[in-house]
Amino acid sequence: MSAVRSTLVGAVLATLRRDLLIAYRRKNDLLNPFMFFVLVATLFPIGVSPEPEMLGEISAGVLWISALLASLLAMDNLFRADFEDGSLELLMLSRHPLYFLVLAKNVAHWLVSGLPIVLVSPLIAYMLNFPEGAYSTLVLTLLLGTPVLSLLGSIGVALTVGLGSRGLILAVITLPMSVPVLIAGTLTVSQTLEGASLSGYLAIMGAMLVASFTLAPLASAAALRVSVN
Amino acid sequence: MDWTWFHKWGSPKWFYELSGKWLPWLVGAMFTFLLIGVTWALLFVPEDYQQGLTNRIFYVHVPVASISLAFFPLMAMSGTVFLVWRMKLADVVVKVAAPLGAWFTALALASGSIWGVDTWGTWWVWDGRLTSLLLQFFLLLGVVSLRTALEDSEGAARACALLSIVGCINVVVIKYSVDWWNTLHQTSSNFTLAADQANGPEIWLPLIFMIVAVYLFFAISLILSTRNEILQREKRAQWVMDLVAKS
Amino acid sequence: MDKHTSEKKVQAGMLVPLLAVDDLFCERDERVLFQNLSFRLTGGQVLQIKGGNGSGKTTLLRILCGLNDNYQGLIRWRGELLANCVEEFRDEMLYLGHRVGVSKVLTPRENLLWSGHLRRQISADEIDVALAKVGLQGFEDSQCFTLSAGQHQRVSLARLLLSKARLWVLDEPFTTLDVRGVAFLENLIGQHSDRGGSVLVTTHHAMAVEGLTELTLGEDRKPRVSLS
Repeated sequence: MSAVRSTLVGAVLATLRRDLLIAYRRKNDLLNPFMFFVLVATLFPIGVSPEPEMLGEISAGVLWISALLASLLAMDNLFRADFEDGSLELLMLSRHPLYFLVLAKNVAHWLVSGLPIVLVSPLIAYMLNFPEGAYSTLVLTLLLGTPVLSLLGSIGVALTVGLGSRGLILAVITLPMSVPVLIAGTLTVSQTLEGASLSGYLAIMGAMLVASFTLAPLASAAALRVSVN
Repeated sequence: MDWTWFHKWGSPKWFYELSGKWLPWLVGAMFTFLLIGVTWALLFVPEDYQQGLTNRIFYVHVPVASISLAFFPLMAMSGTVFLVWRMKLADVVVKVAAPLGAWFTALALASGSIWGVDTWGTWWVWDGRLTSLLLQFFLLLGVVSLRTALEDSEGAARACALLSIVGCINVVVIKYSVDWWNTLHQTSSNFTLAADQANGPEIWLPLIFMIVAVYLFFAISLILSTRNEILQREKRAQWVMDLVAKS
Repeated sequence: MDKHTSEKKVQAGMLVPLLAVDDLFCERDERVLFQNLSFRLTGGQVLQIKGGNGSGKTTLLRILCGLNDNYQGLIRWRGELLANCVEEFRDEMLYLGHRVGVSKVLTPRENLLWSGHLRRQISADEIDVALAKVGLQGFEDSQCFTLSAGQHQRVSLARLLLSKARLWVLDEPFTTLDVRGVAFLENLIGQHSDRGGSVLVTTHHAMAVEGLTELTLGEDRKPRVSLS
């Protein structure tokens, strides 16, 4: 029997693989945020107005808000099952820095809950009469923005994972924090439509992604240490 | 370096006794400033004919809004002190500051919207400053409800300290992004301060009195609620029992 | 200075205990769970922690394994403060909690592969051997929600076989096991102790393990005393 200690990369990859496998096995969890995104986006034409012009004007906001809510709904899956079955304790007692393991879980979570939303967004955008010529911007901003939403959300989930009913409290904590991403995303779309250069806006979103990628897992890891006590 | 002051500060009993000595002075000073500020602002400041009488709410709104911005930095600092040095008093501050901050922010929002009636002709406009304040209000409510929801006192303390730090960083990002959003959408002109238009001392001097008064009010509310929380937490300690027996 | 070095020598001569706990104090919800708690755990020692419900057994174990740091007092691992040797300690310590750390949608093999990789490089063959030993041959590829609670416990017992940990921290490991499972675990603990490993275990069950030592919590419970 070999007793070579696992490398950090090995542990991170194992965690990534495991979480993807769990998501694959629990197809409901995989499908729910995606369905939710489509449903919420469908409600707007019904609730606001089916008039194409009006829809086109609000479509970027509708898509972004739907993505925000869908990512909030999906967040609960991130640590909850692991907390309840005790896997989280194993993760925390590993010799590897929790920061990277949490990051791995975040990445896996985004791949199954965020990426499908990004991929389906052009279709929903078309149904909402989204202005032509901004499709690539929309997908690009969602691609940069939804991981930020997941990373921020994971802080809230980590803080509340020990609570029995955490639905509303998670929203109160997470939604205000997501506002800058919402602003950046929708402004980028509307400004490119007005002919502004895309690069500056994307740089801001990229900066948000980099900042949350480096800082949010720190906060999540610390929050987990508090919650799993 | 001598660290005794640090440990002393960490002792709830010490703080309770010291703050008891400060309080009368603070309260006296607050009422003095408030009286001067209010009478001056309401009776003697020349009426701004463009904005009418309502404009005088500016003397409430500006001090309250500026102090409500201090809550997250205060909570984040106390939270850091608590997480790093486990100073219990710091957690008391984090705990009492959250609902207090929510009240102050609500007051700033209310006074801002009253001011808005005359400026914009409506109670609410998605003005940059008001929107940031509203989001800060929600974030503070989040800290309050997290504290209520987590029953474990030690865990709740640490979770709220952590959330305060995260929230503080977030409030700054929110502030900048909302400003950005607001300038691009241009729904309304921002507040134009009366003080900017007529920069005479008869306009800004009463404002300074009001700012000092509100800051003192903030300090007093913080100290009072901290003392209250200390008594609750230390209710089984001998010195609290002695205190109760004496009164 | 002189005194310090001589103390170290004496300690080395006397064989430094694996785990040394001094003056541990823990308070939860304004209730003192334990105070002035001191004990030593040496290589080969099996220490059963006893005490009634709510006496803080689980809290103590979680403090000792580093999940809970809401305590005052000193905990040393091989003579060094726990805070200064977290990585080494985690390498040599294995904790099996109430919640067994078995994901229900994964198979036993997948569960062990992941938890194994958190600690060391591990092969599928090793896992199959361990699963066979804990009596789960034939269940390697069934998802865990088809298994019973006792079988989940057995999956987590397989971690004991797969790890090279010197210290085992086991929280109520017998509760869901059947008679044969109990005997198996007792045997496992005995073997581990013979190899020089140490075990901290909480259980209400009378363990048939040689050289068992005991520690009872909650005998001197006192109301909270103010610090100021």
